[in-house]
Amino acid sequence: MVEYDRSQSPEGASMAAPRICIVGVGGAGSNVVDRITLDRIVDATLVCAHTDVRVLGHSMAPVKIQLGAELMKGIGAGGDPDLGREAALFSREQIRQAIENHDIIFISAGLGGGTGSGAAPVIAEIAKNTGALVLVVATMPFSFEGRRRLAQAEEALELLQKRADALVLFENNRMGELILPKDGIQKAFNQADQLIAQSLRAISTITTTPGLVKLGLDDLTSALANANGRCLFGFGEARGQNRGAEALKKALKSPLIDSGRLLHQTKNLLVHVAGGESLTLVEVEGVMKQLGRHVPDQTHILFGLGVDAKLGDAVAVTLISSLGLNQLNAHATAAPPSEMLQPRAEQPAPAAAPAPAPKREIPVKKAPSPYAPPQESVADLLFKSEEFASVPAVGEAFPLSSLQAEAAKVVAPQPKEEPVVQEEEPPAFADFDAYEEPAPSPVIAPAPETARIPVRTPAAKELADAARSTKESTLAAVVARSVTLQTEAASAHDDLISFDEPEPESSTISATAVLTRKATATAESQQTFSLGEEDRGRFKDTEPSIVQGEDLDVPTWMRLKKKLRR
Amino acid sequence: MAKSTIYAGLEIGTHKICVVVGEAKRDGAIKILGVGQAPSRGVRKGEIVDFEKVQTCVNDALVRAEDRSDVMIRNVFLGVTGAHIESLNNRGRHRLPDDQTEISEDDVEEAKEIARSVSIPQSNVFLHSVTRQYIVDGQEAVRQPIGREGRVLEADYHIIHGVRGRVQNAIRCVREIPLEVEDVVFNPVAAAQVVLTREAKMQGALMIDFGAGTCDYVLYEDGMITASGCVPLGGDHITNDVSMALQIPNGRAERLKVEEGSVLYDDVPEGEMLSIEDDTGLILGEIERAFLNEVMNLRTKEILIQVKVRVEDHLGRLGAGIYLTGGVSMMKGVDVVAREVFGIKVTRAGSAPVSGITATFENPQYSAPIGLIRYAQILDSEKPFLSPLKRLGRRMQELLSSVTL
Repeated sequence: MVEYDRSQSPEGASMAAPRICIVGVGGAGSNVVDRITLDRIVDATLVCAHTDVRVLGHSMAPVKIQLGAELMKGIGAGGDPDLGREAALFSREQIRQAIENHDIIFISAGLGGGTGSGAAPVIAEIAKNTGALVLVVATMPFSFEGRRRLAQAEEALELLQKRADALVLFENNRMGELILPKDGIQKAFNQADQLIAQSLRAISTITTTPGLVKLGLDDLTSALANANGRCLFGFGEARGQNRGAEALKKALKSPLIDSGRLLHQTKNLLVHVAGGESLTLVEVEGVMKQLGRHVPDQTHILFGLGVDAKLGDAVAVTLISSLGLNQLNAHATAAPPSEMLQPRAEQPAPAAAPAPAPKREIPVKKAPSPYAPPQESVADLLFKSEEFASVPAVGEAFPLSSLQAEAAKVVAPQPKEEPVVQEEEPPAFADFDAYEEPAPSPVIAPAPETARIPVRTPAAKELADAARSTKESTLAAVVARSVTLQTEAASAHDDLISFDEPEPESSTISATAVLTRKATATAESQQTFSLGEEDRGRFKDTEPSIVQGEDLDVPTWMRLKKKLRR
Repeated sequence: MAKSTIYAGLEIGTHKICVVVGEAKRDGAIKILGVGQAPSRGVRKGEIVDFEKVQTCVNDALVRAEDRSDVMIRNVFLGVTGAHIESLNNRGRHRLPDDQTEISEDDVEEAKEIARSVSIPQSNVFLHSVTRQYIVDGQEAVRQPIGREGRVLEADYHIIHGVRGRVQNAIRCVREIPLEVEDVVFNPVAAAQVVLTREAKMQGALMIDFGAGTCDYVLYEDGMITASGCVPLGGDHITNDVSMALQIPNGRAERLKVEEGSVLYDDVPEGEMLSIEDDTGLILGEIERAFLNEVMNLRTKEILIQVKVRVEDHLGRLGAGIYLTGGVSMMKGVDVVAREVFGIKVTRAGSAPVSGITATFENPQYSAPIGLIRYAQILDSEKPFLSPLKRLGRRMQELLSSVTL
């Protein structure tokens, strides 16, 4: 029997390897090209195009084009895209000569500046006219660079979208954010460049190498199809035992994917698994099964499989997808606490939610109870220090009426947060409301902490009774009772101060803290921050036991209370 | 024939460190000669975090055990646990050569080899791999395949593995005492040997060793070990919850839990108060009993639910129900809560079939260390065709010699 040799796919056999050209435009683009040149990861013609002759001089790319030599006289475009465009038009011929006779042309540019935003669309057009496939890999500026640059970037983006066959967009903000804040800036930029370079290589290999299950450019475009979408990219390579799982793990580790969390919302996901001759079906199956845990069922998975002898005994997994900017930001605001170190104000579209939080904080701050030192709440960390500092001052001068209003606000959300009880015990709840209604006036009484507690107590008792009678929501009972307990402690706090506390933090369940938590919980985007901030008591230094995102070392009642409050 | 062997089992628990010296008679009987115990320091969630403290404590326990049993202890069987230990079932399939119809020992070895060549993370090491059953030409539950006619032989294995470094740390800690570690045993596997009877294993049983730091479990189905593992939550978590809810120090919370606590709160009269005293007997304050119980109930239920989640698939066939052992199983009402969670019969049990210091073997706290003795005995018994346990033993030895290297 004659065996069909699968390693030679029909088109691979007939066609010569596609000729690839990578053009770096502007400062950011040339950095990426440098990175690729240094790593020698892609077999391609590398071209660096810039207006600034000094940058060009340092560039390591074999082909260099000085854009608009007569016009610019070797000086950069100075952040003006119009100048950049003019310069590129001047050097049209030179560009065409450099990039023609290629099948695929990648254009890498950092948008927002002069050369990048101005020249890249022109180069894209020239590239398109040579009949090649044009892929643009671009980065969006950091938000601290200002709105002007963002606007320029978006303008350029629009132009590029019309000319390029596919657009891979990286969000600088996101990359910067996910690299440790204490890492050197050099490293941060290096990593960003590396990531882009990697994605370039991945895309070029995926779309050009023959595969058992081939992925084409159409798959790539559909994976990236997303209005104003940003690219999610992950790449991992591993060898040895368990290499499939390891490679996937590495791919998911990519900051752009945020350890798989961002994949939860994607509609299309391109997965490419490549390996040497030794790649087994079981391994591929294992990788896909594991990946299945990170993506929802309805996601369209574009699967590709390639056997590449060059990889030897390694397995490489590539993930490409895109996510709308809004979704991305929604995720970013709810992202893990590592981002707390950066003021949230830097977000391009700051979530509206955190804004009301400081106001709600005020009545709480004003009533520090003697046995519970004011807890450094999570919300506090979120605001810039000067903002934080101004809070107490504002609180001092707050007119009574507005304080009343604030107090009402603090109390008001409660009915919404206890829907279970509400449904089951409407009469009891009406009662509970009645207790809350007259609340504001005692709240503004001279001693806020003692005044607040009597107000809460009847309500809490009511809640406990309601919960107890139904027996369904025992959690509510615990919550209510823990509040009651606090009240008792407060009324007799003089005797109870001697009640030695094991750790200062463990006083979180004091009434003050309960209220603080409430205030933070109302600002939705901050909920995830509590992870790690939780009080774990004696298990403080041990390895956390995390099951389904919950740290089980934190007392059960505390977690249930929090859930109830949501 | 009256030859007997003396074994020592060492369990480094989160709450206590315990050395049990036992005499295993040739007829299978075990006599406990002495028990040495010391409160444990430097252990969290079943794993050693502070070597020196643990070594001091082990020394204490060792000296006591030697005193009581009048035996010099040189070798011990070490019980280990921890969240890193995982288990899985694997099946190896071996087709006999075409010219052969009778299954030989080599074929069995081959099938075993295939079954055991399951990929575990590189950093992990096999702790146990236990033959569950053999399948000859699709016929299940064959105990002894050698000599049978057949074409295809399959071996079912239950494999328990853990992170190499962590297992080695425990061994190193004990070796520095100095004590020789004969074998490393996953605690619940040892405990199950004395807590579960043969009938219980045949009918199907889940044994939960509810300790201070971890909650270990082993599930038997049709006499075969089917699932095992460790939930890194235990009695310390209950104490911690109580201490944080009532804002009292851990020590006092522990005492309160043991002396007054229960996990039943529905029938506690409303308003029944408990007074908390400080060290000098001064009353510091009062708390509602129902509140204390509820805090404990929530945590206990959660821990049991965590166990349930892990064995969910096998719960349907447990004729003998659940056996609760370990220190926390002495807590009031824990059986009721377990029944509520699992919905099947729950028995609280210590170890049964041994003789010696009665108070010791009836106490569920000592299930695991006594189980180590039993395990050692099974390991050493040389009766041909004993049970899967014997093969387990042999396999273990091989594997462990590679661990202890």
